[in-house]
Amino acid sequence: MKNRTRFFLMAAVVWTLQISLAAASFAPQDPPPAPDPVPEVEDEPPVQEEEVVEEVEQVEQAEDAEDAEEAEEAEEAEEEDPNAVDPNSPYLAIYGADIHTVTDGLIRRGIVLCKNDRILKVGKKIRIPDGARRIDATGMQVYPGLMGVDTSGIVRGRGSSMRDDFDPFALNLDLGLAGGLTLVQSGNAMAKLARGTLDGVMVGETGWVNLGYSSTSPGGRRQLRESMRKVRDYLREVRNWNIDKSMGEEVGEEPSSKGLNSGHLALLEGKAMARFNANSLKDLLSICDFLEEYPMQAVIFGGQEAWACAGRLGRVGAHLVITPRAKAWADQTLNAPSGWTIENAKILWEHGVPFSILPQQRWISTGGLAGRDMLTLPMEAAFAIRGGLPQDAALRALTLDAAEILGIEDRVGSIEPGKDADLIICDGDLFHYRTFVQWSVVNGKMVYDKEVAPYFAHIRPRQVASFEEVMEEIERALDETEEAVELEDVPEAPAIDAPEQAAVEVSDRE
Amino acid sequence: MMIASMLLLMPTALPVAQEPTRDPVGRATVYRFDTVETLDGEALRNVTMLVRDGIIERMGQAVVVPENAEVYDYRGTGKVVMPPITLTHADFLHSDRRGGGRNARFLAADSLWLAEDWASDLLEEGILMVGIDPPGSGMPGRTSVLLADDQVGVPEPLVADLHLKVDVKGSSSSKRLVRDGLKAADKAIKSEEKAKADWEKARADWEAAQKKKAEEAEAAKKKGEGGKPSAAQNGDGKGKDDKEPPKEFAPPKMDPNIEPLVDWVRKERVAQIWLGSAADWLHWQDLVGDRDLPHQIILRHGTSQNFHEVVDQIAATGLCVDVVTSISYLPYTRTRVNLPAELIAAGVEKLVLSPRSSNLSGVQGFRLSVAQVVAAGLDRATALRAMTLEPAASMGQEELIAPLAVGAPATFVIWSGDPLDPMTEAMQVLSEGEVLYDRVKAEKEEQR
Repeated sequence: MKNRTRFFLMAAVVWTLQISLAAASFAPQDPPPAPDPVPEVEDEPPVQEEEVVEEVEQVEQAEDAEDAEEAEEAEEAEEEDPNAVDPNSPYLAIYGADIHTVTDGLIRRGIVLCKNDRILKVGKKIRIPDGARRIDATGMQVYPGLMGVDTSGIVRGRGSSMRDDFDPFALNLDLGLAGGLTLVQSGNAMAKLARGTLDGVMVGETGWVNLGYSSTSPGGRRQLRESMRKVRDYLREVRNWNIDKSMGEEVGEEPSSKGLNSGHLALLEGKAMARFNANSLKDLLSICDFLEEYPMQAVIFGGQEAWACAGRLGRVGAHLVITPRAKAWADQTLNAPSGWTIENAKILWEHGVPFSILPQQRWISTGGLAGRDMLTLPMEAAFAIRGGLPQDAALRALTLDAAEILGIEDRVGSIEPGKDADLIICDGDLFHYRTFVQWSVVNGKMVYDKEVAPYFAHIRPRQVASFEEVMEEIERALDETEEAVELEDVPEAPAIDAPEQAAVEVSDRE
Repeated sequence: MMIASMLLLMPTALPVAQEPTRDPVGRATVYRFDTVETLDGEALRNVTMLVRDGIIERMGQAVVVPENAEVYDYRGTGKVVMPPITLTHADFLHSDRRGGGRNARFLAADSLWLAEDWASDLLEEGILMVGIDPPGSGMPGRTSVLLADDQVGVPEPLVADLHLKVDVKGSSSSKRLVRDGLKAADKAIKSEEKAKADWEKARADWEAAQKKKAEEAEAAKKKGEGGKPSAAQNGDGKGKDDKEPPKEFAPPKMDPNIEPLVDWVRKERVAQIWLGSAADWLHWQDLVGDRDLPHQIILRHGTSQNFHEVVDQIAATGLCVDVVTSISYLPYTRTRVNLPAELIAAGVEKLVLSPRSSNLSGVQGFRLSVAQVVAAGLDRATALRAMTLEPAASMGQEELIAPLAVGAPATFVIWSGDPLDPMTEAMQVLSEGEVLYDRVKAEKEEQR
């Protein structure tokens, strides 16, 4: 019996070895395990390792010659000590994780290679340059950094004076990063959560034009339409004047834009985005009317009853920023569906309305109410998922759609070559309550590490066991078992990881 | 300049303490102590110190005591001797709060508002020298240095005009103020340079003209009859050439608020840069760019206690760093940060410790907070230097408050015990051999 146990355990060891080595050769572009503080290469008996590698290689050669070639390449690379990391290297490689690209689906066990502040390559077979900074994200999930539309209090300063006011060590900035945010809009400015530096913070200004179009102020609506009509007439005149001029006809002076509202002019010229606040169906429908009359880019904040007119919102091309958990009761006097529903986001998505998600509190709250502020933005989106929104769409809402609303979708919002290297690496599904952001990368620099930042390091500490640690653990377990088995008459206890067996035994006793 | 000011002060100070019967010249006083914290290496035990003319003439275990010497034997009492504590920012000594802004013309010494017994308040705490700052943010003025000797009435500052205070704590407006100030200083320098170039040219032209004229006159003299017409010619150009430019260059008048900044840009003056958080450090770097401006760093954290984020960067500059003596907690965490110790670990060589708050009660709790920081890991010897010698050096007074050694001024405090024990009291404060404060005497007087 002793021999049998030992045999099984030895088999397990060999199997583990093979699995780990096979994994290394299946994905030979993967670098070896994360650099350990202990020099690993010297400690190992090199002969044994070589033997095993040969074994695995033979198996692989039989299966896939190409992979084996790459394994050789990997080996060659290993000889040059690829673990040497240059902290000033322009390259940052995140490897071993599942990459949620947003635009190009999911890449399992892929590599994101960043150079300076941009993403250079994304994929499975990428050679990591020598000396590159690395993050071993094996078993983790990589997402584009989340974006906070219309936040407050996460960054200090606004507009063009952002740089002079920015606090790159602020507590709220740290907590924003811990919550997965890498970019926030605050006031009219958009700022990266670039910790520890004043460079590369300011992304731009939204240039939104606030339009009040509420059913409670008919006078205001009339004035707005009046102003818009004037602007439209002016634009028509200009167009006709230009056509006449190009036809060589006698034209007078160019029409003057004097007296026109410059913001409204920018809206109808397509140079700016209109911002509305509307929750009720009534207001949303009248905004739809307005947008049909004066087509323009628009974002509507609130949208609690948007699900009831999702089709129309889709047709006028409006963007929304919604809070899935915000509640509004149905209007009993209305002969139409109204009120709040958890399906709001799902219905908007079905009708092709792009939207972003905002929690009930637009700031970071450290005073309780966990899950309702920017510290847990994905939690708010999780409620939309609960209401039927596909998970991909929820991720899109927090990243690319938000970037689109901010007008910076060409720079951020997805994991694509050429985009800004703003990423978060989570230890699980983004929308799971258990998940923490383990690392945040902004502008190609690691700016948050859960183990280092003092906020959540104590909750489920990250443990990445090295190959040596796993082997030591197995050897220790072997020795212990040997000692235990020597006590001959100890009855065979059911293994902890074999609950079926234990269950069988219990039922036998019954 | 320091010595000159000392010489000025001495005659006013000395006669007060002088005993009429004895000639102060050549008078020797001998002290015997258990422990002397020289602050230059290890503390000395069982020391005999011979003081003559305000200077430590001999110090050690085997010192011959002259016949007529006055001997004070403090052995066996546990008393400890150390150079006096020096404060760099004693804000409670003025109350003229002008606010901030660009007011570099103000001197802190001009806004003194002293309590009657301000000097004994300081001496009681073993403090001899204090720096005072103009209050406010931005560029509120220049700092001064005071000695807490027995001056009656408005004291004459030891140094009236020392450092330029530049406070860039936490707001973009003060950053803008400094940026604009530097621009104005550059402009003033440029216009002065231009004025000087103009003057030099004018002077050179005038001198050349004079020379030419002299030559012509000489030639005319030689010719004899030809002198007249040439003199007439000279008369034509009289208005232009004959007006002599001043012999010495007189620089154009400058805005008195810009002048100290100009000195600073020309590296003739040191500035104190006040920072409130790690972000301020980056903003200061942003502000100063590639300029090389002489400065010291004053760290005074507010709510965000995060200077530890940039200690390495600060240490790399090799500047003098003045920091509040306290253990800070990172906000919302139980993570403690011993900033003074971290600065030393990062390689800061010139560390100045300041009380947690610069009012009188803060000053009275200073030694306790230093003791706490030492208990939490700051090296004791470093801490003692950082509350005595280093602050004096940061104010350019390293000769006045120096390590206790042969040849150094006999300026020290006799403590009733370990100076870092909060129960310890300053028993006597001596400045250049003269007793400025004696606790026993003072308490007797108070009882009377």
